[in-house]
Amino acid sequence: MQTLKLLSAFFKMNVQMSLAYRADTVVNILLNIMWLGWELLSLNIIFSNTETLGGWGLGELIALLGVFRLVNTLMIALIWPNTEKFNQSIRDGSMDYTILQPVNSMFLVTFSRITVWRFWDLILAVILIVVGINMADQVTSAPQVLTFILLAITGMIIIYSLWIVLIALTFWFVKFDNNVTILQALLDAGRYPATVYPVWLRIIVTFIIPIAVATTVPLQALRGELEAPQILTFILVSIVSFFLASRIWKAGLKQYSGASS
Amino acid sequence: MSPTIHVQQLSKTYKVPEREGGFSAAVRGFFKRKYKEVKAVQQVDFKIEQGEIVGFLGPNGAGKTTTLKMLSGLLHPTDGKADVLGFTPWDLKPEYLRAITLVMGQRNRLSWDIPAADSFLLNQAIYRIPDDEYKATYKELDELLELEPLMKKPVRNLSLGERMKCEIAAGLLHRPKVLFLDEPTIGLDITGQARIREFLREYNKRTGATILLTSHYMADVTALCERIIIIHHGQLKYDGGINLLSKKIAPFKLIGVMLAESNSHDLSKYGELVQNEEDWDKQYIQVKAEDVTRITSRLLADLPIHDITIADPPIEDVIEQAFNS
Repeated sequence: MQTLKLLSAFFKMNVQMSLAYRADTVVNILLNIMWLGWELLSLNIIFSNTETLGGWGLGELIALLGVFRLVNTLMIALIWPNTEKFNQSIRDGSMDYTILQPVNSMFLVTFSRITVWRFWDLILAVILIVVGINMADQVTSAPQVLTFILLAITGMIIIYSLWIVLIALTFWFVKFDNNVTILQALLDAGRYPATVYPVWLRIIVTFIIPIAVATTVPLQALRGELEAPQILTFILVSIVSFFLASRIWKAGLKQYSGASS
Repeated sequence: MSPTIHVQQLSKTYKVPEREGGFSAAVRGFFKRKYKEVKAVQQVDFKIEQGEIVGFLGPNGAGKTTTLKMLSGLLHPTDGKADVLGFTPWDLKPEYLRAITLVMGQRNRLSWDIPAADSFLLNQAIYRIPDDEYKATYKELDELLELEPLMKKPVRNLSLGERMKCEIAAGLLHRPKVLFLDEPTIGLDITGQARIREFLREYNKRTGATILLTSHYMADVTALCERIIIIHHGQLKYDGGINLLSKKIAPFKLIGVMLAESNSHDLSKYGELVQNEEDWDKQYIQVKAEDVTRITSRLLADLPIHDITIADPPIEDVIEQAFNS
């Protein structure tokens, strides 16, 4: 309840901040409309020329793209702006005020900035997923759709944890502005189904770098390719990675308070 | 009753990377870092009772901010203990954070692009302040600081003094019991400083809050605090009443003289000549406070004076003189 209240307070504040400069606001709205048009156009091109990719049907590809876009929205609307603010706050010392607020600092650092203009991205992603599922060749049953949603959430948690680890490293290095660039590079690899990559790369992408987990795995669940033990493993992995990430965050905070002056 | 703030043997040592200048040293430093240990705070002890306003005085780099950061919970000490309101600050318990505030004169907590009122509301959510309580506190702060006209402008459009008022108010919305103020008047003009001081005194009287403030300005401290703690090179040098301190520190004044003609007159017969790098077109002499009037009138009578100023000597010098000799 408190978390929701805070989130809505953050959202309001971000809307206020986005509206602070009139010219900037107008340009942003125009840019985002153009962006949306371009994205729809490129989707159209892809799907008028492609039927299958790596053994996946058109419907599944659309759903995959939807999940990918969902992750991408997370990246653009949350991860980029908050990381930028975080990196800056470490250097100008405003991190001090963040730490002294009676709210989990990890939550504050990761949710206080929201790029409100990318909200439509979220809607587009959901539409793509829904359309994709409906078009999928295999008859998808309700449990499959449910595990799909569940695994999409666990995927998000894994990415979130990875992000936390990357930004927590800044506590040790003081200057580590490439922290998100690394994450973005990893994420871009998740744009295509993991099966189009050679086996060794697939192993890296799936296990060492758990990005594909967030995009391909939910889709496999949708196709009914995953067994219960596998599903449980992914859920377990997300819990463990979140736990580890918050431990690393805490250690980072301690490091920060030990080193800064 | 146990004291509000109780500090025992508190120490903090930093490891600071260090290298020689030059290219090859930079390359070597990349592979092998050398560190130097800096003892910022060394075995400091003090107790502060509820409702006290204590001035924390010392030159730059003396360890004031480090101590304040340890007491607010931002820094882990290398050694020693601190107890504030029954909490160990660096455990960062939410109940503790809700009971204290740290205001730093050189840092911003308010968002630059939106009016302070919006940042205040975010603070209300973060500190879970009920609406009626928030309104009452805001009304009181507005009465004391005259916030209302400042609330509607984006923070970036406020003057430094106005912004500082808002920064302080933002730090007090949750009615903290203990206030840590790090140079709250820095950069403000005389009236601005006086206004903040006035506010702190009144706030302390009304709420009974305990205030520990650091300052560079002797005037801040003499106006507000009955008790002073002096820290120099990380060590506690003095803890006691301000009256006793003024006996210990020889009360000097600094007379700055700008002559109408050249600087060929010898001022050393009026008092001790003092170097002042910031203000090179004036000559400074240091005289005993009780002699100021006499010497100033002599100077005015004897010399072709263009401009003359009388000021307190910088706090660094005062402390240096009092405790290093």
